Parts: sequence; C-alpha cells; structure tokens
Amino acid sequence: EYPAPPGKMAAPRGWRLAWQGHCRLLHTERSAAPPPPLYPPVVASHTAKSKSAKRRRLEYFYQQVHEAPSIAEKLRLYGRLQRLKYVVYPQTFSLNADRWYQSFTKTVFVPGLPPAGAQPAGPGAPDLSELRSLACDALLQEHFYQRKRERPFLYREQQHVPGPFLTQLVSSLSAALGSSNPLLATSCLDLKPQVNFYWERGETVVCRGYRTGRIDPVRFQIDDEPLIQIRVPKQLPEFVPLDYSVPGEVPVINHKPDKLPLFKRQYDNKIFIGSKVADPCSYGHTQFHLIPDKLKRERLLKANLADQIEVTYRANGIASLFAWTAAQAMYQGFWCEADVTRPFVSQAVISDGKYFAFFCYQLNTLALTVKADQNNPRKNICWGTESKPLYEAVEGNNVKGFNDEILLQLVQFLLNRPEQL
Amino acid sequence: IVLRPCYLPPKGYSSFTRAPGHPRVPRRPLPRTPWTTRGPPPGAPLPRSWQDKRPVQEQIPGLEQVTYAGKQYFVPWLARPRLPRWERGWHDPRHSPGPRYEAMPLYKERVCYVCHQRTKMLEGVRQALWLTKTKLMEGLPPKVLSIIDEPANQLENEDERVQNAISHARVWITTELIPKRESYCPVLLEDLLHLCRTMASKYPSLSKRMLARDYKVAAAWERESSILQVRGMNGILLNAINPLLPVASKDEILATENHILETFHPISPTIDLQEVNVYEERHDTGFREGYPYPHPHTLYFVESANVRPVRFRPEQLRAKMLMFAFGNALAKAKVLYGDDPKVLEHPVVVQSIGTEGRIFQFMVFQLNTTDLASSDGVKNLVWIDSDQYMYDYIRYLPGIRKKVVKFPPGIYGYRPDTFKKFLALYLHGAVQDSTQTQIL
Repeated sequence: EYPAPPGKMAAPRGWRLAWQGHCRLLHTERSAAPPPPLYPPVVASHTAKSKSAKRRRLEYFYQQVHEAPSIAEKLRLYGRLQRLKYVVYPQTFSLNADRWYQSFTKTVFVPGLPPAGAQPAGPGAPDLSELRSLACDALLQEHFYQRKRERPFLYREQQHVPGPFLTQLVSSLSAALGSSNPLLATSCLDLKPQVNFYWERGETVVCRGYRTGRIDPVRFQIDDEPLIQIRVPKQLPEFVPLDYSVPGEVPVINHKPDKLPLFKRQYDNKIFIGSKVADPCSYGHTQFHLIPDKLKRERLLKANLADQIEVTYRANGIASLFAWTAAQAMYQGFWCEADVTRPFVSQAVISDGKYFAFFCYQLNTLALTVKADQNNPRKNICWGTESKPLYEAVEGNNVKGFNDEILLQLVQFLLNRPEQL
Repeated sequence: IVLRPCYLPPKGYSSFTRAPGHPRVPRRPLPRTPWTTRGPPPGAPLPRSWQDKRPVQEQIPGLEQVTYAGKQYFVPWLARPRLPRWERGWHDPRHSPGPRYEAMPLYKERVCYVCHQRTKMLEGVRQALWLTKTKLMEGLPPKVLSIIDEPANQLENEDERVQNAISHARVWITTELIPKRESYCPVLLEDLLHLCRTMASKYPSLSKRMLARDYKVAAAWERESSILQVRGMNGILLNAINPLLPVASKDEILATENHILETFHPISPTIDLQEVNVYEERHDTGFREGYPYPHPHTLYFVESANVRPVRFRPEQLRAKMLMFAFGNALAKAKVLYGDDPKVLEHPVVVQSIGTEGRIFQFMVFQLNTTDLASSDGVKNLVWIDSDQYMYDYIRYLPGIRKKVVKFPPGIYGYRPDTFKKFLALYLHGAVQDSTQTQIL
C-alpha cells in the first residue's frame, strides 16, 4: 500500500492535480483504466548464456507453438530446430530392444489383449467359413498357384511370397467386412506409406562440439514403413479410461541410448501419419508389418537368439504404434506442452507370413519431455500377444492345420469401430 | 539464313526500278557465277575435303602399320597393335561367355517376334490390330455403358470420395510439396481399386475375385508367315471365378468377316518387336491348374516412369494394353479349347485399363477366333475408349493476384464420367443389367 501523498492535506483545492499515486481513495470507484506502466517489465535476458535466458527462450518458443494459426504451421514450428537425434528403428536386431523402446516412449507393456468392450451387434455377423476360404485362396495363390521364380534373390524372400499374401489377405478381408463395419467402407488403404515421428525425452549433457557442457533434451526420430495401413475418418474408442492406473511399470534403463546400439543423425524432423493434415482420414485403424529377411525366425534360431524372436515383434509393435498414434495426436493439435485430452488408439498386426502377433496401443500422454513429465502420472499402454502360426504347412494345393483363432482375431481387429456406427 | 546484300536489287528484279502498277514477274534463271551458286557445278570433281577417303592400307596394298608390339611397351608415335585374344585354356564356369545362340538347344532358324512390356510399337494400335487380327470399335460396348446408367451402381458420395482419392495420391502422400509420378500413379490406382472393392457389400459376387501382381504370361501364334509371341510381366490382373460373357452378338462376330485389316506399307507389321532365334512356343496363363479364380477379368497397366522419353505415349500404351489383353485371352483359350486354330464358340473376353496418373484408357477385348494365320475369316473385336481425363490439372500452391487468393489449391477440371467407366468395367460380369442378351 502506498503511503498518503504529502501534499494532500496541504492543498485541498488542487489535491486532485497533485495526485500521483496508484492507490484509490476509500469509497470511490475506478473511473478510468490504470495509467500505463512507465517502465517495461523486468525479465531475464533473451540472449545471455544463462539458465534464466534459456528458460525465457523456451517460454517464447512454447508460446509461438501454442499460438500457431494452423496445425501444419504448428508441426513446422515444433520441428524447426534441427539437432543430432537418435534414429529409432522399429525393426531392429538389437537385443532386448523392447524394454529400451518402452523407456523411450513411457509405455507399459501388458501381455494379452485389452479387455474386450461390448461391441454392438453389427448389421450382419461375418461368415467365418467364407473368410477362411478367402484367406486360404490368398495363401495358395501366392505359395502354389501363381508361377513365380523358384528361388528369390538374396534377402528378398519376404517380399516374394509373404508380402503379396498379406496385401491380398488384408484387401480382400477389408472388402468382405465392409458390410459389417461401415467404418471400413469409408477407410483409406495405404500400401507402404511413410510414418514419421519426432519427440524429446529426458535430458543429457552435450559431450562434444561448441555446445559442450550444456543440458540438452534427448531427441528421437522414428521413420517407419509399414506394409499396409488402414486410416479412417473417425477415431476408434478407447480401451481403458485416460487416467487408468496400469498394473505394470515403465522400465527404467540407466544407460545412454547409444548402448542399445542407437546412432545419431541430423536431418528433417518429420511428423507424418501417411498423408498430410488436410486428409479427412486422419485417424489410424490398423497397421500391418512384415518382419524383414534379416530378422526371420530361422536366422535368430541359428544364431542362438530364440528368446529374441518375441522381442523383435514387441519392439516393432511398440515403436511403430507409438509413432503412428502420437503423430495422429499431433495432427489434432496436441503436443508435449498441450497434452492429449482424450486417448488415441491404434492396432497393429505383425507377421512374417506364417506367424502373427497382434498389438493394441493406447496413447494417454504426449508429455515426455522432462519439464512436462514432472507431475504426469499417465502412461501409454501397449497390449500384445505372442506370435502364433496361422497355418502349419502348405503342401501342394492344400493348407494343413489352418488356425481359426488367428483369423478370428484378425477379423475382430478389422471390425473395431466407434459405438455410434 | 542467306542474307542478301542491301546493294543488290531484291529477288526477281533486274534493277531497283519498277514499272508503276506492274506486278512482280519471276526472272529467267540466273547466270552461273560464284555469287549466285553454291558448290561445284554438276559433273565437276568435289573439293578434296569432300571426297571419300579410303584408308592408306587399302589404297597401297602390302603396306603394313608399324606397331609397338615388338617393343613390348607403348610409344606415342607407333600404331596400336591388334594382339590375339587371351585363352584361359580350360573352361571356367564363372568366366565363360556362355554358349553361342546357334549352339543353344532351343535355337531355330526361323525368327520369332516377341512383344514384351517395354515394347513401344511404331504404328501403335493399328499395328496391334493387324498382329492380333482384330477389328476396332470406338467407345465402350453398350453392355458396359448400360451399367454406368444404372443408378444403383454408384458409390455413396462418389464424387467426394474419388476427389479425396485423387488428392491423396497427388498431394497428400508425401511431406514434400509435389510427389513424383512413380509414387502417385500406383497409389491412385490402388485407391480407386479400394473404392471399387467397397461395392462388395452390395454385390457379394464381387468378393469372388483375386488380384495378382507380378505374374508372367506366355502366348504364341502365327500370323501370315511370322511367328509372334507375347511374354513376360505386364500389369496387375484381376481374376474371377466366372468368365465374362461375350459382349458382341453372333451377328456382329460374323460381320467381321468382311472387315479388311489395315496395313501400313512400307512399314512391316512386326516393326519394334524383338527378333529372337532362341525361343520356345508355349502357352501359359501364369497360374497352375486348379486355380480357384481361373478366368482373367481385367488387366491394369500403370505407366509411371518419371522421365517423359521413357514413359509410354497414350498410343503406345493402348497398343501394349491390346497386345497383353490378347495374350491373356489367347493363353486362356488354348488352355480351355486346345491348340488347334478354330473359331471359338464361346468367345473369351478380357478387359484392360491403363493410366499414367491423369489420363485413362479403357479397353474391352473379345477373342472370337484362334485361327490367326490368314487375314480372312472371323476377326476378334476390341472396344477402345481412349484419352479419358479424370481431371485437368492439380494446383499445389494458391494463385495469388494482388494479395488475393484467386486460384485456391486443389483439383481443377474434375470429370466424374471417368470413374463411372472405371467402376462399370469393374462391375462388369457381376452385375445383371437390363440389356444383357443371351448370346450363348
């Protein structure tokens, strides 16, 4: 409170002219706006090499991104600064990569599939025998009936038979299930699309270069190319509520990501779900991945890495789905400083032609930076199954030991839709 | 350009004066002077630099070049010696040039002309018509056109969904501004096929079809003393359980007997086809026996080379479509009805669609006869609808004139008829239309 000005009592007639304080007299209303401040606000420097200057620059950057007029502009500003970042490969030969990827993306892995929500009875339950015959026809066409080269080129076996089989299976199943799931009728099917995501998690000290000694966030980039991707115009329903406390922990790894091994590169920070922001189909439904030739089961068994077979599937599922789901969330305007207000959900099927593994991902939080993660109890959740074979063998023109459960699970994945439809 | 010096009178004038009102009259031929002619007069010897020069060794027989072979090292003033080829002495399979063509087991004296997927024929569709003994009909057949007119054969929000598909392929597919043709052309075809497949909910028989990519076809026939073959990978084939019913009536088929195939003398009809001496005449649909989807329905050709000289022109694309539709139909006919050349009782129908991202070519081919050796008799029929534009052009950036957006980015000149024809060709065979007559 300001003291009463000295000249108040001394000059009662001109006291209003000598009034220079900021406080009001008692029992008076504020008649006009307070006078503008004489001096600009005292804030930290913008360009100094100090923590407060760094904080001020960060605040200015966050304010710019918050006030971006459109989502494309927001993405451009978010990834404008290029620095060295770790390039995370979803399909990797690294040992125990799934635990590392869980720590990078703050994901809890829950074995099994999410609790099945009450699916509304569709216009017509799909006929499993018809779908089984479609799947067997696709399998036999690629394995037996279509005349192909006897021996594919080195490391191209996966794209010789299993790749076309998966493509044919997905396109015919999604066409056949279009009547049961109206969402599939308005979906968009992409073949070998690009999916990219860029994020920051944790902090480290810069060890080399002119910026030595400064504290920098650890940056990651995923550049993924799923075999097939289905995008839909409406969002899938959540599996569990946003603040659900998952029974499980995010693994904490006290090593630098370089030990995985993970290598750094500097290039465009791309965020892409498979098509630009203007596309009406901006939500994801299901991705289909093909395990590459170098990570096949036989090779891992020959190298005495039988326990890493499931790890490759899990790492692929976690990384690809995190990148896709988080990119979908950024397409809706959310980012690490503006966390998601509703959970984003995607599904994936990872296969090597014979063995299929199913994954569901729910993104509850995008706030992975150190500043945003301080009071953030939410975690992302990834459900996943073990890989099981769809068939035992293909001999001539018969399929032996066709597994109906896998087909049923695939059909249920494709029939997933919001409750309104 | 020959510039006339200004001090000479203009062409056709003997002097600068002109009689008033007189028209210009051409003069008598000019006298031969160094100023009025070029080159030597006829009959005179050519200048030394224009005469034919034969090598010195031909002009002076017995003269040998002095080479550095004896010296065993190079010197710049002696000629390069022609040394004998080095022989290994033993057969190394990793460094052997392979057997000569004449020594191969499939070598034949008679040349065979092969059409493969990179064959760009000079005369285009006319050449393909002669080679396949086919009569051309403009436009699509009335059976297919009637499918278009049926209102039940349309998608919901067809225009909006097709325009979304075009924008997806042409604009939204990449983080850069403009995608290359190699990326947008196949994506556009896949998106349109996906839209067509969603009609399976209305017509369940549409789900009894299977796409086959990267398959190889082989068909061989004789045409007026030349052996012709169609071989290799061509495009994406849609196979169906039931064959397509014949599109033309028996009268139209018999009427083709009077049609005379167009020749283009002096160009040989086998121009631009690859001549091979080592070949095997065989028929192969690309699939083994017992395939649950035995009948070829539609062939989709994607012409997506980035560089314009490599890309097929529309005429050459139509010729390629015709040759491969014929190849598939002929291979199927030989498998069904045997190798003897004859007029088919149940003609084989194969459709074909080719695109380079914007312009679509539609074709329906009906194989009426496998007797192709002579140019008389019943001919095959083909209906071609060429150069159907799906849209005129795409604007990637807004056109701003005087700080006002006058031309927003997007598709310009969209034509809905092209997708209707695409869908009609897809639905053909699964849809019962009102004008279907019993031809069999």
